[in-house]
Amino acid sequence: MRSISRRTFVRGLGGAALALPWLESVASAVSANRVAQRMAHFYVPIGVVRRGFFPGEADHIIPKGNLGAVMQSLGQQNPNLSVQPLGQLTPTMQPLEGVKNKINLITGMDRTFQQGTDVHAQCASCYLSSAEPYTIKGTAWPLDRTLDHIVADHVGENTPFSTLEFSCNSHRDNKESIYFDNISWFGTGHLAPSIRDPRKMYQRLFSTQEIERSRDITDLVLEDAKSLKRDLGYTDRQKFTEYFDSIRTIETQMDRLEQMKSALASVAFEEPLEAHLPRGEYIRLMGDLMVVALQTGLTNVTTFMIGPERWDTPYKFESLFDTPRSHHQMSHNQTKMIDDLLMVDRFHMEQYAYLLGKMDEIEEPDGTSLLDNTLFTYGSGLGDGSTHQYNDLPIIVAGGGKHTQSGQHINMPEGTPLANLWLTQARWMGLEMERFADSDGTVDPLLAAG
Amino acid sequence: MTAVSIGAITSFRVWNAAVASLILLPAVFAADAQPAETTPFAKIISPAIQQYCVKCHGEGEVEGDVRLLGLRSDELAANVELVRRLIDVLDLKEMPPEDEPQLEPQLRQNIVTELKTILRASVSEQKTFSHTPIRRMNRFQYNNAVIDLFDLNCIVFTLPERMMREHNGYFQPETGKMADVVTVGSRPLGKSQMIERRLAGVAAFPQDLRAEQGFDNRGDHLSLSPLLMESFLKLGQSISQSPDFTPRNVGVWVGFFAAPAEIEDQEAEVRRRLEPFLTRAFRRPSEADLLDRYVGFVVRQLDSGVAFAEAMKSVAAATIASPRFLYLYDRSGVDETAETIDDFELASRLSFFLWCGLPDSTLLDLASAGDLKKPGILDAQIDRMLKDRKLKRFCDSFPAQWLQLERIISSVPNRERFPGFYFSKYRGSMHMMMEPLLLFETVLIENRPITQFIDSDFTYRSGILEDAYGDLASELGGEVKRTGGGVTKLSFNRVPVTDRRSGGVITNAAVMTMTSGPERTQPITRGAWIASVIFNDPPEPPPADVPPLDEKPPEGEQHLTLRERLSRHRERSDCKGCHEQIDPLGFALENYDPIGVWRDRYDNGRDVDMSGTLFRKHKFTDIVEFKDAILAEQDRFARGFAGHLLSFALARELGAADQIALDQIVEAAAADGYKIQDLIKQVIHSEPFRSKSNPKTASRQPLP
Repeated sequence: MRSISRRTFVRGLGGAALALPWLESVASAVSANRVAQRMAHFYVPIGVVRRGFFPGEADHIIPKGNLGAVMQSLGQQNPNLSVQPLGQLTPTMQPLEGVKNKINLITGMDRTFQQGTDVHAQCASCYLSSAEPYTIKGTAWPLDRTLDHIVADHVGENTPFSTLEFSCNSHRDNKESIYFDNISWFGTGHLAPSIRDPRKMYQRLFSTQEIERSRDITDLVLEDAKSLKRDLGYTDRQKFTEYFDSIRTIETQMDRLEQMKSALASVAFEEPLEAHLPRGEYIRLMGDLMVVALQTGLTNVTTFMIGPERWDTPYKFESLFDTPRSHHQMSHNQTKMIDDLLMVDRFHMEQYAYLLGKMDEIEEPDGTSLLDNTLFTYGSGLGDGSTHQYNDLPIIVAGGGKHTQSGQHINMPEGTPLANLWLTQARWMGLEMERFADSDGTVDPLLAAG
Repeated sequence: MTAVSIGAITSFRVWNAAVASLILLPAVFAADAQPAETTPFAKIISPAIQQYCVKCHGEGEVEGDVRLLGLRSDELAANVELVRRLIDVLDLKEMPPEDEPQLEPQLRQNIVTELKTILRASVSEQKTFSHTPIRRMNRFQYNNAVIDLFDLNCIVFTLPERMMREHNGYFQPETGKMADVVTVGSRPLGKSQMIERRLAGVAAFPQDLRAEQGFDNRGDHLSLSPLLMESFLKLGQSISQSPDFTPRNVGVWVGFFAAPAEIEDQEAEVRRRLEPFLTRAFRRPSEADLLDRYVGFVVRQLDSGVAFAEAMKSVAAATIASPRFLYLYDRSGVDETAETIDDFELASRLSFFLWCGLPDSTLLDLASAGDLKKPGILDAQIDRMLKDRKLKRFCDSFPAQWLQLERIISSVPNRERFPGFYFSKYRGSMHMMMEPLLLFETVLIENRPITQFIDSDFTYRSGILEDAYGDLASELGGEVKRTGGGVTKLSFNRVPVTDRRSGGVITNAAVMTMTSGPERTQPITRGAWIASVIFNDPPEPPPADVPPLDEKPPEGEQHLTLRERLSRHRERSDCKGCHEQIDPLGFALENYDPIGVWRDRYDNGRDVDMSGTLFRKHKFTDIVEFKDAILAEQDRFARGFAGHLLSFALARELGAADQIALDQIVEAAAADGYKIQDLIKQVIHSEPFRSKSNPKTASRQPLP
């Protein structure tokens, strides 16, 4: 059933021009005078085909089968720092041609694998925490509080949602564990659950029913708490106040959301229907929801996973292939399926480009665009889906406006920790931080002089 | 100022509390009726303190912050913690320190006997037990309780803290026999072990940490924060809204969620369904106004047009966010005097102890009828619970924490020096951690004596583990099946142990590895582990200003043995006393290298010297003699083990008043050779398990 077409919700959004009057009024109503700085992360699973993505690797050897034990680049890379203008874009990056002057390609960033856990699970779950191996006690993962939450601790205090987590994993089965499907974590073993269903996300953002339901429940359990208190002994009554305090804090959050609801009521975003969407439309619908959340100040920090790691169950890429395909299985068969894989990589890049374009069209109160006030990073936890390498990851940082240098290809020296980029971004977002995870510096060419 | 003994150091916290109350508590207890000079205190204890103790525990800056100078009989009687510590340090010969004048054995014995009399008298007069504070469920209990409440046939969320995953359904306590071949998975380190049937879209709240020297169910550790409360509210909704929350997975679907075919009286139908549901969720019958509120909640939703099943899901979500579900607590009593818990509290204590979840309807029905406390019935219920497969939850929780096994997750022996530890991309610890857990399950299911934990005549090994053991492979090691990759499903065989260097929980590869560093063994860590786990007498951590010994010997020390190197680093007198106690326990294990492989020599060619004396009493020159020495002290081990069980069961640290109960538990279980199920039963029958001290109003004496 495809009762909803792409056109329907574009119309619902107000067509191509997102910078419509309602959006301005919402924006000015919620974000006062100062334009907020935002951060968004777009995660691509299972690496990329290196020949298609990385400049200068077009003729490199094609990995054969699953080279899971290799875990390093097959071809030669530039081991030194270099900063060059972005020249001719590689085939996979082609969709970014229109926003070329607002992006940086960053190569040469590495993560360190901690032995003993699955390579796909770790590359996603630890992508944004990147803790030094074996430093987190009592867990087999180098998984710590992730960058988005650390930043949100600083910039998410007054938004209804400190962060929002989006996932375009449409698998119905529970084939893989949570480590394959989440890049956002409150802390070790404490997942920040993502929302995969556009309807659920819509309701979370815009539905007043949701708040009412929560209020009904909190009202009911508060009565329980009051009656329970009478049954308790003296010392227990003291400790039990933690329950009331906790409920009260949540009610404050709900109040904040409710205040915004009246402003958001004018948002002409149609509620998504319960229907299967072709993959591209599904991803873009989730992306639209993310953009509107950032634009309206519902949150300043988001993560967006375009698909889960590994997960061998095939699914449909409607515009690309006739039959359901497994991205992961293709990645282990590059010699045979490299053209299909390149199409998947390019398809993912098109979605990223779509969102960049959308964000760049949205005008902020000070005349800049939403993209100018957002650091929006494309990246994967693997440098290649066959070699399963943690080095030389594909990373693109877009946006940042006048605070960043753009239109560059920055190649970091061999062995530069990915955490250096996260430290750079955290500072860009206003955090005073000495070090992030295993960082040993910052990515300075990214920052505007002065 | 001379050496401080381990006793003083082990118990800084307790001592501090003891001393503080010595100062603050007025003499609330009248002095003995006997003339003061004829009491045992005046005749035996007081002179001994003057002669042997006050040199260090007298005036000014006293050792371990314990002041005994001028201690009065009534002060001592009022301070049960102090009495208990005095008994411990004297009984374990921790005091006086080795280089101080010693008590005659008979005198030592007499003092201990008299102190025990004082302790018993004080405890029975005061009649209070430490109170376990109200606490939220930890996430393991929450997961189980939700499964119990909805009768789910899958788990709620994945829990890495459950270390062992069962693959071939071997766990059948009702048979009284453990299978010879079991298939398991290592949840934290094994491949794909975190993938299991669960409710999609439900995110776990963070793992609860184990208390220092305790368990992850400890009342004083489990608190609530706004972030966590939000998780609980969302959890309740995400559970009932999960796409997997379907009639197929939810056992109570038909009786609770499914819309009735015909509704004559909607409200009556809702009430009929909610009453038993809330009773199970809240572990006792609900009062009328509470039931009315919940019925009203559903009826309002139905009136506003919400479908029946959805309205019931909504109330189910609220139920599991209610503090009456989330929190474990005792209802208040009259005053501080211990009183017997009611039948519903007993049902909850039983189920959270042995099943780590909700009491089932059998327990609740017996509680309703007021029968659960009747001796014959209670014993039959304990037997039933020990034969139920939900006992697996106890095995997923208690033994790994008792043995502190989570420490092996972060063990990373040097890859170059210990290549045998690694296989392909994985660590051998994945297999090692299963061995002591399988041993524990077998002892429990087969109701064997707990001395098997010291020196068992069987163990469970996988092929990879047998290979890793080298010399210590079992006789049948060659016949254990070598399964494919050994990373997803690990097959373990029961093998007899004839070489006593193997067997038990102390000398297995898991414990030997997790108590070592990447380069070398850490005898002190091993000694501290034995003191804490086996004898339940944990040492305090070392002072912060002592640098650790380098992993690799520095220039000029390569020719020394580890013991010699350590002795050089232990010249400070305030360290020596403590180390006199723990070091022999750790050095006794020096024949096991950092990955648990047997060695007679160090890499530098020097012989391993493991000899020592246990409790200044039992000399040993090899590991078998060391095991014999522990077995000779099996009463102490049994008492330590019973203490771990009781602390787990009550979710709190044990206090002085519990010590008498421990004596009784151990005495009763000794008759039949300390069989583990006997110990568990005795724990349940003990007074602290069946009492609470939970006054409604502030106590007469505010705690300092």
